Amino acid sequence: MHDPDPGRMARRKIKTNRVSRAVDYADPEPSAFASMLGGLIDANVGNSPAKRKDFDDLAARVGIWVTDIDEGVTLEFQRGSLVVHNGLKPKRDITIRAEAETVMNLSNLRIGLFGMPVYYDEVGRGVAAKLLQGKLRIDGMLGNIATVNTVTRIFSVR
Amino acid sequence: MTVSAFSDEWARQFKDEVNRSSTYQSAAKGWKWTVGLVVEAEPDKNFPESKGVVMDLFDGSARDIKVGSAAEAQKCDFVITAPYTRWKQVATKELDATKGILQGKLKLKGDLPTIVRYTKASQEMTECTTRIPVEWPDEK
Repeated sequence: MHDPDPGRMARRKIKTNRVSRAVDYADPEPSAFASMLGGLIDANVGNSPAKRKDFDDLAARVGIWVTDIDEGVTLEFQRGSLVVHNGLKPKRDITIRAEAETVMNLSNLRIGLFGMPVYYDEVGRGVAAKLLQGKLRIDGMLGNIATVNTVTRIFSVR
Repeated sequence: MTVSAFSDEWARQFKDEVNRSSTYQSAAKGWKWTVGLVVEAEPDKNFPESKGVVMDLFDGSARDIKVGSAAEAQKCDFVITAPYTRWKQVATKELDATKGILQGKLKLKGDLPTIVRYTKASQEMTECTTRIPVEWPDEK
């Protein structure tokens, strides 16, 4: 007979491991990469009102795949909160694929006028060159330029 | 001439390499925090006790690098911890330190935005360790 007790039914809601008010982790054991990105974003939005505003306005699923370690995360920005998932999850708006060093360099892009990433200094030229060489791929970029720029600003430690 | 891994002589050569590096000098401009490397013991690799490397780095130069206890290294502003074998892999270019941190093979403690800002400096510091001819305890 069907068990009428709803309290024992399986739930599909993702359990999260709360670390701060801004960042949660979807997995009981976040990967080192997930912890690092979550920690970095948490610190950035905590230290900068401008990044906090971007964070509060952003609703997007962003995948990041590090090609030379075969690891990735999905960042689920939910206007003022973020859930970090181990691995790539479906329905991503953009997906960034690059080697570890390039991913770190993305966090070192300077932000210039009108909140645009700076591509003419040493770090920026390096990132732009990786894009042109196909060593940095941003799937979904064309329809989501504003999202790419907002995510870059939130990532940036500059 | 080779030096014993994580010995006082190794620390002296490491400091000299860092201070010889113009790349490090420019990439670490503005750095003002201590860094501790904890090398965890692996008795089966002839590395029976954990050691700590304490680095006093300031504005693009190494003021002091010394080998002490793991506890001393753990007091630093930034601490990177890994077993002996992992550090050997880093020093022999078998493991890239940035990848190692992202994979959790090297555990990093400290303010993340600061360390990310100095990625190039930390990469060059790793390069400096690879230039020291080392005698590894598990190869003796």
